[in-house]
Amino acid sequence: MKMSKTLILPALVAMQCIAPAQAKTLGFVVPSWSTAIYETKYYEECPEGLALGNDELWWKGLSPKDRDRLTNGGEMEPVDPPRRPMSVLRGPNKEDVCWNPTIVKDPPLRMVRGKTGLGLNLDGTQDGAATAKTCKHEKFTTPDGKTKVDNQMYRLIGCVYGWRKGEYIEAHADRERRDSSVGIMLLEVADVDNEKNDDNVKVTFFSTHDVLPKDSTGAILPYASYRVADMQQYGAVAKGKIVDGKLITEPVEARMPLYGHQIMGEMYYKDLRLEMPLTASEPGKPINGLMAGYYDFDSWWQYIRRIESVLVTGQWSCPALYVAAKQMADGYPDPKTGDCTAISTAMNIEALPAFVVRGDVKTASAGGK
Amino acid sequence: MLRHVALAALIGISLVGCGPSEPKTAGGPAMLRRLTQEQYQNIVADVFGRGINVGGRFDPLVRQSGLLAVGAGNTAMTVSALDGYDGIARNVAKQVVDEQHRGWLVPCTPASVTAADDQCARAFFTKTGRLLYRRALTKEELDSQVAIAAASTKILGNFYDGLAGSLSAMLVAPEFLYIQDTVDASGRLSGYAKASRLSFFLWDSSPDDALLDAAEKGDLDKASGLKREVDRLLASPRVEQGVRAFFADMYGFDGFETLQKDSLIYPAFGLATADDAKEQTLRTIVDLLLTKNGDYRDLFTTRSTFVSGALGMIYQVSVSNPEGWEPYTFPEGDQHVGIQSQAAFQSLFSHPGRSSATIRGKAIRELFMCQRVPDPPANVDFTLVSDVHNTVHKTARERLDAHAADPSCSGCHRLVDPIGLALENFDGAGQWRTQENGASIDASGEVDGMKYSDPAGLGKALHASPAISSCVVNRMISYSVGRPIASGEKPWVDFLDKSFKSDDYKLRALMRRIALADAFYAISPDTAKGAQNAAAN
Repeated sequence: MKMSKTLILPALVAMQCIAPAQAKTLGFVVPSWSTAIYETKYYEECPEGLALGNDELWWKGLSPKDRDRLTNGGEMEPVDPPRRPMSVLRGPNKEDVCWNPTIVKDPPLRMVRGKTGLGLNLDGTQDGAATAKTCKHEKFTTPDGKTKVDNQMYRLIGCVYGWRKGEYIEAHADRERRDSSVGIMLLEVADVDNEKNDDNVKVTFFSTHDVLPKDSTGAILPYASYRVADMQQYGAVAKGKIVDGKLITEPVEARMPLYGHQIMGEMYYKDLRLEMPLTASEPGKPINGLMAGYYDFDSWWQYIRRIESVLVTGQWSCPALYVAAKQMADGYPDPKTGDCTAISTAMNIEALPAFVVRGDVKTASAGGK
Repeated sequence: MLRHVALAALIGISLVGCGPSEPKTAGGPAMLRRLTQEQYQNIVADVFGRGINVGGRFDPLVRQSGLLAVGAGNTAMTVSALDGYDGIARNVAKQVVDEQHRGWLVPCTPASVTAADDQCARAFFTKTGRLLYRRALTKEELDSQVAIAAASTKILGNFYDGLAGSLSAMLVAPEFLYIQDTVDASGRLSGYAKASRLSFFLWDSSPDDALLDAAEKGDLDKASGLKREVDRLLASPRVEQGVRAFFADMYGFDGFETLQKDSLIYPAFGLATADDAKEQTLRTIVDLLLTKNGDYRDLFTTRSTFVSGALGMIYQVSVSNPEGWEPYTFPEGDQHVGIQSQAAFQSLFSHPGRSSATIRGKAIRELFMCQRVPDPPANVDFTLVSDVHNTVHKTARERLDAHAADPSCSGCHRLVDPIGLALENFDGAGQWRTQENGASIDASGEVDGMKYSDPAGLGKALHASPAISSCVVNRMISYSVGRPIASGEKPWVDFLDKSFKSDDYKLRALMRRIALADAFYAISPDTAKGAQNAAAN
């Protein structure tokens, strides 16, 4: 059949309409993250002082005779073996109190009492009243005074010495991740038609086993390629949008690798959201973003109880932390007990432009340019 | 109809055969060339296997007539260099006879490990000595090696240690360390010397058993025998080793051994990047010229290459396997066109902390086009050129324009800068940039009357330049014989230059023509006499 002119024209028009511009896929590697902690110079957010450490509680529980006997006449430092592992065995029958946190009752954890905090408004409320997905809790206000946010994890650990900004627990874990390349997150932002404003993009949270390439100063290099680790638990996909160059995702359930203090764990989040600019101040420089959601209590505690070797450096008590965490949990109430099973958390993340390689597909272009 | 087709085919065949024939040449001087470190390593790998580690460093060679291969024919052996060779030789020999290797490298088992076994030592040196000296050992030489092994065994109390002692002596002998152009009674290159010339040219290593057999039988003196062996060598995977060695020499890749980059200015350019950059260009060359049997000139316009994880960060491209190599084709419109746009060239011909249009332009003139660019005068002031943060002259073009205003500088800068400035979009590590100091980079220029506006345009201009193809012909001839081209050989050079064109600039065809040419084996009569005397002694 000979095609008439009238048939050709609509066909051409249709072809033009169904041939959109090639959407971009941007890649990022996330080698660094830490809990978003708001601190003041004079610890105003911790009016009761910093949390009591495990060794301190152990020491208090000993008779003067035992103190002398067990610490070599007081010469043995809290970090010295065998004092360090011994101090964790505070149960009535020498049970490990991190693995049996309810076996002893420690003084309550000293927590954040301040009103200012960092994070995102996860429950959508202004007052922290209970909802179908949350338990009643106090909200924080962001430092600019504009937004009510949820970050019960900060309330919980903000007065624990080791978790303060730049202190051992998170700083050391971060160094370990960067040095070992273990537990590294990847972000893939797909379907990007416009890097400034796009109302529909797809964000996938991956992990990788590839080595983080570094320069001579130890800084991680941008624009490296990372293969997605073949691990079924990772790969959560979130819907998102880009507003004035900032990526904002909708809540998604996601698991991400967690490595630190030579312990491999997992971060299991519900309603995880990501807010991050897509461009850095200079091409190839790190981009700072915020990740927030409800951190599943069990997955969090699984990790915490296994890093008991840094209790002394971190200065906390497992029983006090456990009890307080149960009380602070504000997300996903158990249908039977009504107790919440997850803790609102916010993390500062540092991302670098990278190529995320899925199988043989190499469509990615690094973000952050 | 059938008859016409057959006739046309016959005419066609006869026309091919009627092309200009190779001109007669008087040849060049007989040479005595020191093995390069790579040749030494290749020989050890070919004779004893890849498992033998050759440590140590050789004294560097001096580049002459554009090639280290030529410098290898004009190098002295110092006492310290000999000491180094001795250490390497002992280390190699020790490994050859160790328990891991002796079972298959020593062709016999001694009657007693603690006593000399002349028969076994003789069997070992008959086979191994032939491969190392690239000719059969004379009876005196063989007797001497066996005697050294026996004497050493007596002192050391172990047959294998004695054998190693004798082998290490062989590995420092001039017969091994130097490629000798020995001539026969008629003043022509001997069969063994022909075999060496062929194998070092095509394989960058010593002749194998089959080639030595051919030399012994006189096959290399006959056209059919020579053709058979040349085609066998060219068909071998080892020809890749030969091609890599040639281009690494021609393109000055020995510079990678001392290449330094300021890690604060170029954090992504580490030691692995330098190694990978060199490897990338060599892989590109092998792929285009050997695997695809492509046009040599396409090296300057090709978008097809290979990338590694380290190079992916330099080019900002995705790599499927950051731990390996993979083919990569830069897309249309991308300015990574030709080997001159690759990180090897860009990093090698730059300063540690900045690019250099002048060094790059000079490198293209000298290495790719075989044109000599004079060195700068000793008292030249580079202050302005090296001031990359100059607020007035923001780009290299502006700084060079101001610098070259001095008449004593302008002559050479006019020759090299327009070429080098076309590559200013690549920084000193080979990373793409569009601006310098906030000012846009103008990559336009002209080379020998051909104008361009960007790096890809420079590639096209180089592709079109007759100097590019004649340069590789020139260098390959010189490389193959290990000396500068003699004045009487110009007709042969011209002939090969024309043939290269008629062969569609295929490197394999050029290598074959050289290897089959009488001129390749010709020794000028005045030096033949000396070489005869040397061989006799």
